[in-house]
Amino acid sequence: MTAVFAGLKVSAFLAWKTIERGNTGTLALTIMIIALIFVNLIFLPSIISGVVETFNTQSIDFDLGNIVVEPREGSQYIGGVTGLQKKIERVPGIIGTSPRIAVGVTLFYRGSNTASTLYGITPEDERSTTRIADFMTEGEFLANGDTDAIVMGAILAGREGEEGGGLPSLEGVMVGDSVEVAYPNDETRTYRVKGIFETQSFGVDTAAFVTGDEASEVLGLHDQASVILVKTEVDGREEGYKRELLSYGIQEEVWTFREKTGGVLDQAIQSFNIINTISTLVSLIIAVVVVFIVIFINTVNRRRQIGILKAIGIDQQIIINSYVLQVLFITAVGALAGIVLAAGMTAYLTAYPLVFPGGPVYPVVETSAVLRSIASLFAVSVLAGYIPAWQIAREDILSAIRG
Amino acid sequence: MIVAEDLTRVYTMGRVKVRALGGVSLTVARGEFVGIMGASGSGKSTLLHILGLLDRPDSGSVTIDGTDVLALSDHRRTLFRLNRLGYVFQDYALIGELTALENVYLTSLVRGDQKEEYLGKSTEILRRVGLGDRINHRQSELSGGEQQRVAIARALVNNPSILLADEPCANLDSQTSKSILDLFARLNEELDQTIVMVSHEDWHKEYFCRVVTLRDGLIEEVTECRRA
Repeated sequence: MTAVFAGLKVSAFLAWKTIERGNTGTLALTIMIIALIFVNLIFLPSIISGVVETFNTQSIDFDLGNIVVEPREGSQYIGGVTGLQKKIERVPGIIGTSPRIAVGVTLFYRGSNTASTLYGITPEDERSTTRIADFMTEGEFLANGDTDAIVMGAILAGREGEEGGGLPSLEGVMVGDSVEVAYPNDETRTYRVKGIFETQSFGVDTAAFVTGDEASEVLGLHDQASVILVKTEVDGREEGYKRELLSYGIQEEVWTFREKTGGVLDQAIQSFNIINTISTLVSLIIAVVVVFIVIFINTVNRRRQIGILKAIGIDQQIIINSYVLQVLFITAVGALAGIVLAAGMTAYLTAYPLVFPGGPVYPVVETSAVLRSIASLFAVSVLAGYIPAWQIAREDILSAIRG
Repeated sequence: MIVAEDLTRVYTMGRVKVRALGGVSLTVARGEFVGIMGASGSGKSTLLHILGLLDRPDSGSVTIDGTDVLALSDHRRTLFRLNRLGYVFQDYALIGELTALENVYLTSLVRGDQKEEYLGKSTEILRRVGLGDRINHRQSELSGGEQQRVAIARALVNNPSILLADEPCANLDSQTSKSILDLFARLNEELDQTIVMVSHEDWHKEYFCRVVTLRDGLIEEVTECRRA
């Protein structure tokens, strides 16, 4: 044990002196390469996590709430909405419900028209469940009792002279303008645009809202809704709330927002993960090559010195360990520098987020991803450092001394 | 004490077999300063390498202080070199990143000596070889003679049974060579240090107790010198 400790002490001594007094340029360059590889290892996972986070947040805040209650199979609408709302709101942890009547409509404005989804909502309930009302860029959100007012997303409102590029657009609707809405039952209504919102979620910003009373009146509905969105006190525990809701005897279909969006998101994540795996492999191969070359050149240049060390009685394992310790140092400092760079990158992308169709994506650096990157970087670096050191150190003493 | 008997060593260089040693027997008594001389290719370095456990003979035996060193495992040979032998190489073979003092105490570190002990020993031995004021200088800051003194100090720091020197003056001018040989002679006389040294300079003979001259891998002549 003492011999092992003494050996490690010598390895550390030799490694440190080489680092301290060796070529600082090569050392700095190697550390920088490791740092950049580390950043590359956590960049894509952080963006993927950011996409998931954004998608989830946008879904909860603007599109679905935490839980979605839908009509029973075979029914188009949920009946007895008021009673059902009260029932749902009795469940502990439910802080809001918003019934929505969803209908496909055609909107007309100054000679242009587009098809979109119109939601009939109870404004007060919608405010308690989603955050659309907080994202008004012009005008105001709907109020209970509005019958001739409509609010719409910024994409649907569009800009004058600009076509929607495949998305529904009325090409420049402003607050105060009138738009005509043709319902599927051939009823047509004219509404004054009360407000325009921008959530940066494409699905929401291409939709429009009128009050539930108005939609019910046009469609001939009474206390009915296409869907009830449910807002919970805490995000991430939707499964528990769902079970709780079902235990309260709710007969309608109950879904968590993940169940409603899972398919789309899972496909996107799968594609991202394939790209991430390729990127990770390439990064690790680069790490292996860089460390291998650095240590290989180092050991080849010191071949004679390694022979001398062995000749004066220094065990080859001590010599190998000294190179492994150098690699550990380089990797540790590189990973540390990588963490600093990644923190800078995260701060920058938080201030200037990447814009995805689902909304702005902020990088989410997960501790597990950082630990995984550090562990994989250390594993490949140690291996890449050990092999050339072992190759040279196990060489016959005289051959090494002769160079 | 070294007892080498009937050592043979043949090197294969491509398709050619070169006989480096053809059956050399040699005994070096404790406290002797033995010079191994001969022309290039006579086998003197091969003999030193075998005596120093850096190479193995094809046949024959080597016993150092009663230990059959050829029977030792590689690990044991390494430990034997560390604890019982000291080496001085032709080109000093110092570690460039280390100071003179660090070069000297490196092997003491491996032996697990206490810090005070190895610092004290190393400083003292450097002082004894005349480098008391150069201990914190690195190789690049030392002259050839000073570097060789550091190498000698490194070889001596663990009180080896035998000091092996492979043409230690080959890269030095005659003045510096003389100072190194004077140092060897002093170590031999004052500390009774056993030294086996390879040389091809005739004037070195005056320092040796005994000169073993090799020719074509065989001992051609054994001459008593300084103490004769």
